[in-house]
Amino acid sequence: MAHNDNDSRLADQQDFELHVSRYYSTLYQFAFSLTRNENDACDLTQQTFYTWARKGHQLRDASKVKTWLFTTLYHEFLEKRRRQVRFPHHELSEVNQDLPNIAPASVNELDSATVLQSLARLDETFQAPVALFYLEEHSYKEIAGILGIPLGTVKSRISRGIAQLQQILTHDAGSRPAMRRRPTHG
Amino acid sequence: MDSRLAKEILLRYRPGTADASDQEYAEALEQAKRDPELGRWFAQHQAFHNTIRDRFKQLPVPAGLKEDILAGYRPAVTPVWWQQPAVQALAAAAAIVLLLGVAFFWSQPREDRSFAAFQNRVVRNAQRGYVMDITTTHLGEIRQYLATQGALADYVLPALLEKLPGDGGAVLRWHNKPVSMVCFDLGNHNDLFLFVASRGDLPDAPSAAEPQFTKIGNLTAASWSTGDRTYVLAGPGDEQFVRRYLGR
Repeated sequence: MAHNDNDSRLADQQDFELHVSRYYSTLYQFAFSLTRNENDACDLTQQTFYTWARKGHQLRDASKVKTWLFTTLYHEFLEKRRRQVRFPHHELSEVNQDLPNIAPASVNELDSATVLQSLARLDETFQAPVALFYLEEHSYKEIAGILGIPLGTVKSRISRGIAQLQQILTHDAGSRPAMRRRPTHG
Repeated sequence: MDSRLAKEILLRYRPGTADASDQEYAEALEQAKRDPELGRWFAQHQAFHNTIRDRFKQLPVPAGLKEDILAGYRPAVTPVWWQQPAVQALAAAAAIVLLLGVAFFWSQPREDRSFAAFQNRVVRNAQRGYVMDITTTHLGEIRQYLATQGALADYVLPALLEKLPGDGGAVLRWHNKPVSMVCFDLGNHNDLFLFVASRGDLPDAPSAAEPQFTKIGNLTAASWSTGDRTYVLAGPGDEQFVRRYLGR
């Protein structure tokens, strides 16, 4: 009996480690594309896995683990943002931070931080669909499930979001201060 | 397909993914081969797409994040104390008593089909741990799933519940009759559970639309009937808290 229980706990832990190894990077990247803040993205990613440890057994279809994790992370993000809207908090370093000029020919020279800053300038409803689109982890149907919106709406938001992103990256002609990158490791 | 529509579709085409097998993209790609102007635009767009995609995938992940996640792992259940021999002996004795009790219960001629028993069963089931047949935030999808399973799907939700995101749903059985369970996500890992049964299957179900409240374990349950449906809504907190979601 005790053996069985120990075996079961060990299997749960191995299962947990396997899912963390497989998905923590892309979950973090999705979280970062939503929050643009390393600490917040780490918190969201960790919280998502702890929710999985507590509630994951409710999911019968093992093939849906990845979608479940992304859906849960997105819910956590919306929940946190709701709280932040009620109690807004701005760090001085985050205010007035903007994009550099980007000529069409220089698209190849863009770095990830610049792309993320551009994503932040999209209409809010486009940001999560566009991030999931470029991370290429999910089909359109799965993205619709994660975001809780119909498939047609997902496709439309992605198309419009990409068009807006192109416009921002290639036609932003204003003179802007140089962008600072957040320190990251690894 | 005209070139304008093809362009709109190709804008979100992801080469090397499952998109390639989608008929919608196959047609648009064909159109790009036929229309030189569209073809030139698509080549340019592909270069843009590949760059942006690579930048997303290159987002650096903080060193140590994986280890932090693993270090914080706590299994859902940690029943260590009961593995002690003394506790196990006690549990064995309790099991015998329980077996005798069950045997006595089953020797009785009647089954408890009362509404109180039903309510007690479903709400305690929600507290003990349950398995959802479908997990989705979409209340419409839950309703559709229940309908396809032959469960009750014509329930009427109070306006405030309609606005909550779903957590999932399941089909339960009460004396071989279907009971629909819909879970709502309250955030902070709290859920509301709505159980819908056919009024005819519960002879002494509440007759009024005005909810009756009762505490079952650590959940508060509200029960009411409308039309030929009987509802039980269970959630954390007190009567006031649950009543809020009923809009009363």
